[in-house]
Amino acid sequence: MKDSWHEKWRLFWLHGIPLWTTLLLMFLCLIPSDLVGISRFCPTVGLICVYYWSLKRSHIFGYISAFTVGFFMDVLSSSPLGVNILLVMLMVFAIQWPARYFQSASFSVIWFIFAVIGLGVFVLKWLLLSIYYNLLISPNEIMFNYLATVMFYPLIVAINIGMQRFLPQERINE
Amino acid sequence: MVRRSVLLIQTTELKILLRRLFIAVLFFCSIFFILLSTVDSPLTSGINKAALRITGPIMQVVEYPARILHRAYTYLYDISRIYLDNRELRAENKQMLILQNKVRSLEVENQLLSRLLNYTPPPEANFISAKIIAESSDNFTHILFVYIGDEDVKKGQIVLGEESVIGRVDTVSGQYAKVILVTDINSKIPVVVERTRARGILSGDNTEMPSLIFTRSTADIQEGDVIVTSGVGGMFPAGLPIGFVSLLQNNDIKVETLADISRIEYVRIVDYGLSTEQVKIFDGSSESGTDER
Repeated sequence: MKDSWHEKWRLFWLHGIPLWTTLLLMFLCLIPSDLVGISRFCPTVGLICVYYWSLKRSHIFGYISAFTVGFFMDVLSSSPLGVNILLVMLMVFAIQWPARYFQSASFSVIWFIFAVIGLGVFVLKWLLLSIYYNLLISPNEIMFNYLATVMFYPLIVAINIGMQRFLPQERINE
Repeated sequence: MVRRSVLLIQTTELKILLRRLFIAVLFFCSIFFILLSTVDSPLTSGINKAALRITGPIMQVVEYPARILHRAYTYLYDISRIYLDNRELRAENKQMLILQNKVRSLEVENQLLSRLLNYTPPPEANFISAKIIAESSDNFTHILFVYIGDEDVKKGQIVLGEESVIGRVDTVSGQYAKVILVTDINSKIPVVVERTRARGILSGDNTEMPSLIFTRSTADIQEGDVIVTSGVGGMFPAGLPIGFVSLLQNNDIKVETLADISRIEYVRIVDYGLSTEQVKIFDGSSESGTDER
């Protein structure tokens, strides 16, 4: 009985690796810019991680994980609560269908699909926030953020791939 | 055997249905949260405070190694520049001594004139220094997270960078506070142009330079004009510098903040003793201006 609980606990933590990695990367992106020497050139790592894990490990990174990531994206910013949750969950929903076809596609193809879906997510966020604030938010800043997110995709994915080897072997389907 | 397999199929179908229902509930929750945010409900405020209480210590832990590495780098860099710095500081010190004498004489003159006018000086403001532990680098938001320890900080208090206003306290929870910067879309500050006293509202729009809005079309505003708080609304005291006009294009007036937020390590949270009622009026919030600790 004790072993069984221990095993369950261990699996809980191991299956949570995608979520823990995502949250950790989000917190790392909050390090004050005076320490890293760059100003506001941080990608939206939450989006990259949600895309990557829901494409590659949808059985352990589903809607609950996406909801959690979206929730933290909201509370760690001044966005209205719920906006990022909705966007991240819509992203997971949008990925579900192509996931089965593109899971084994080349890296560049997956990156390109991220650029397309990401653009949709950023435009939707821009629209939602513009409606919420009743003000047309400057698209330049958002495009800059989008481009930074697409550019940093390989780096963030490389970190996630590194974390993938800690996942329980029997569940890896690649 | 057949009954068992039918039961199994039904159970599986039920599981799928429940799963879909759960996903629908999650979507509904997110939309519900957005709608709730529009009315500034105590529930969203409570969620934000609880989240800040949880994430504050994590942010502090994450920031710590980066801070140590930065200090080590700065230390080595400073050593390499020590000779040049010393020479510059000596020259600067000479000029400062001249200025100090001037300031002393002006202070005496000011006291004499104040006495003549029977002038009552405003109450002195209390302030605390708080360390920045995190900064939202998302282009959709411009906020800071600061560690305030056990100090008494209230929602709406002013946050100063070096000498100029950089934002206001939005949420206080435990030993942490969330600061909305003047560049954030949620920031609206009544200001005046120092030279002409033309009034307006400094409105953040999530760009690096907030806009000056609601100014008279006939107002005399030029590039380089200093923008200070007007004190209207009772939220901010009058005369605190924020920035200067850096761009004038048709009706669009862009203001560059005096403080370089990306280089600030510590901020000052100033308590001008404004009543919570004033904070409530300015914020338009239904909740109390004093946050729970």
